[in-house]
Amino acid sequence: MRAGRSAADSRCLSGCRSGKMAAARVELESLEKTLGLRRRNKLGPSPSDSAVPVLQTNNGPGLVGLTTIASHLVKVAKKEALLGSTAEESAIVQQWLEYRITQIDRCNSQEDTRVVLKELNCYLEDKVYLAGNSLTLADIMVYNGLHHIVAGLTHEEREKFMNVSRWFNHIQHCPGVRQHSAAVIFMKNRLYPSVH
Amino acid sequence: MTKGESGGVQEDQPQSKKAAKKLQKEAEKAAKKAEKQAKLASENQAGDEEDFAKDRYGILPMIQSQEKLDRVLVHVKTLTEEKADQVVWLRSRVHTSRAKGKQCFLVLRQQQFNVQGLVAVGDHVSKQMVKFAANISKESIVDVEGIVRKVDQKIESCSQQDVELHIEKIYVISAAEPRLPLQLEDAMRPEAGDEEGRATVNQDTRLDNRIIDLRTMTSQSIFRLQAGVCQLFRETLIKKEFVEVQTPKIISAASEGGANVFTVSLSISQSMKYSLKFMFRAEDSNTHRHLTEFVGLDIEMAFNYHYHEVVTEIAGTLVQIFKGLRDRHQTEIQTVCKQYPCEPFKFLEPTLRLEFPEAVAMLKEAGVEMGDEEDLSTPNEKLLGRLVKEKYDTDFYILDKYPLAVRPFYTMPDPHDPKYSNSYDMFMRGEEILSGAQRIHDPQLLTDRALQLGIDIEKIKSYIDSFRYGAPPHAGGGIGLERVTMLYLGLHNIRQTSMFPRDPKRLTP
Repeated sequence: MRAGRSAADSRCLSGCRSGKMAAARVELESLEKTLGLRRRNKLGPSPSDSAVPVLQTNNGPGLVGLTTIASHLVKVAKKEALLGSTAEESAIVQQWLEYRITQIDRCNSQEDTRVVLKELNCYLEDKVYLAGNSLTLADIMVYNGLHHIVAGLTHEEREKFMNVSRWFNHIQHCPGVRQHSAAVIFMKNRLYPSVH
Repeated sequence: MTKGESGGVQEDQPQSKKAAKKLQKEAEKAAKKAEKQAKLASENQAGDEEDFAKDRYGILPMIQSQEKLDRVLVHVKTLTEEKADQVVWLRSRVHTSRAKGKQCFLVLRQQQFNVQGLVAVGDHVSKQMVKFAANISKESIVDVEGIVRKVDQKIESCSQQDVELHIEKIYVISAAEPRLPLQLEDAMRPEAGDEEGRATVNQDTRLDNRIIDLRTMTSQSIFRLQAGVCQLFRETLIKKEFVEVQTPKIISAASEGGANVFTVSLSISQSMKYSLKFMFRAEDSNTHRHLTEFVGLDIEMAFNYHYHEVVTEIAGTLVQIFKGLRDRHQTEIQTVCKQYPCEPFKFLEPTLRLEFPEAVAMLKEAGVEMGDEEDLSTPNEKLLGRLVKEKYDTDFYILDKYPLAVRPFYTMPDPHDPKYSNSYDMFMRGEEILSGAQRIHDPQLLTDRALQLGIDIEKIKSYIDSFRYGAPPHAGGGIGLERVTMLYLGLHNIRQTSMFPRDPKRLTP
């Protein structure tokens, strides 16, 4: 009885995790295309945690983790500018990559997503990109992480988080970023003036 | 647990010591209280003896029509600067009272108006009288005589801001229980008031105590405005030479087969043409805009060549109602706005008329995925309302040419495209208030359509037969009174505009 239940639990767990793994693979593949990398890298699940992707490189042990692999791919593609052009920018890029993994990917409820959207909306009030004055890996990764959340918002909510919407709409139109994700539609005019 | 039990004996002594101390304290308290009461009583007695104003206040015996007084009672709303320094009598409710030393402030309310009253110790008012006034329970009805005085500083909390009443006599006509199920002030607080951490009253508590909730200035204004809608509806149609008719609500079978019908040995009719009446819906929808019993304002008219003659007539009637509300009920609109803020209602003349495919195109452009012949879902209706408002700046519009598949059997198909029909809905602030159509007046076509939709012809025989002896082309529509009031005022729940709302979960009060 007890053994049976725990087996079922672990099956569900691995099911969810392999789902996350598949999502990570799709995301990294689309990032390869964005970066203009021809060669497909081989991804596999980490032996200790199946939700974490591992990239087998030619030299040394595998690279573990979504943002680690993403940063590595940027360097392979020789587009280091995407990691920030100054020390400050690089630090900010790293901070948002971490935010993506620790905050956005761990949204389990409506309240969690509200908190994330509110924070981002405040941060983006006076910014075009997350770090510096041009597109960085932070924009791409946060865009990817938010896509399913923003796509599920009503027009009223998109208007409420207006700075997020403006930034998101801009990023999805940056060449090569969107790849196969569906374009999210934003209204050009305010429909809900009383929301503000 | 067991440890505590074993240690029970040991703890016994200190406990009893504590208990003894407690007892002693209580005894002291009681003694003090008794002393205080005795003092108070003696004071009162002393007071009674020297109360020079004892005829100026008190609880009146029940009014049983024993005498006809020719005393004139004025309405609170008439208390303005013009009445300054006059002595007036009025009957009102005690809205709030606040005693402060030798004076007591009362807010006296009559319907949606209120005025500040002051009972202050002076030549005519004794200490005891102030105390009596302060102890009158909220919502009690009192008769008051007082002098109207101008005030230097406007009284923000009252509708009569320029004057106050210096009370010289106050009698209780009907006392309210001291504990009320809800406080009127809480029930009138705007919802944004949460920030101050002050209480508001939820919808169910309001409805459970509707008698008290109806006393709020907001409710008073809502129902005055609603009466205005009915009056304007009648006025406008009488001018257009419409005839008011009364038809039975109890019929043998569902005439439409649209929504479910109550079956209580006899069915209650879903919809009849030409009148202003109670309607019933047996759908089990618990939403912000559905009631099981509501008031329908129905219009049905014959036309000459095109059903747009009727559409224009109905839209014109609604525009007359909107204009009338705006011109006659501004006070009510403002009062409701204080509790439920909302933008003023906007409309165009002539009314905007969109066709269904245009609406579908607008929605698709906004990223909504829907089929061409699909009915509008509630969220899509609301979004469309926003899109229309943004594009045309109107809160009122007509949506014409609905797909035939989503309308009842008696709806006339469109002559140019059989997928569509000569039917229309009207919307206020993105929500449907009226549904109507050109009806089929040809018995053969009517029978064919009923058969196509699998409706039992026998059950609607008398309806079909009525067209066998010649019938002019006609069209019409039914408006929900509660919805019009709700949406005109920008309220969010239809229960606020129904005096004693009925829904699948509520049959009382």
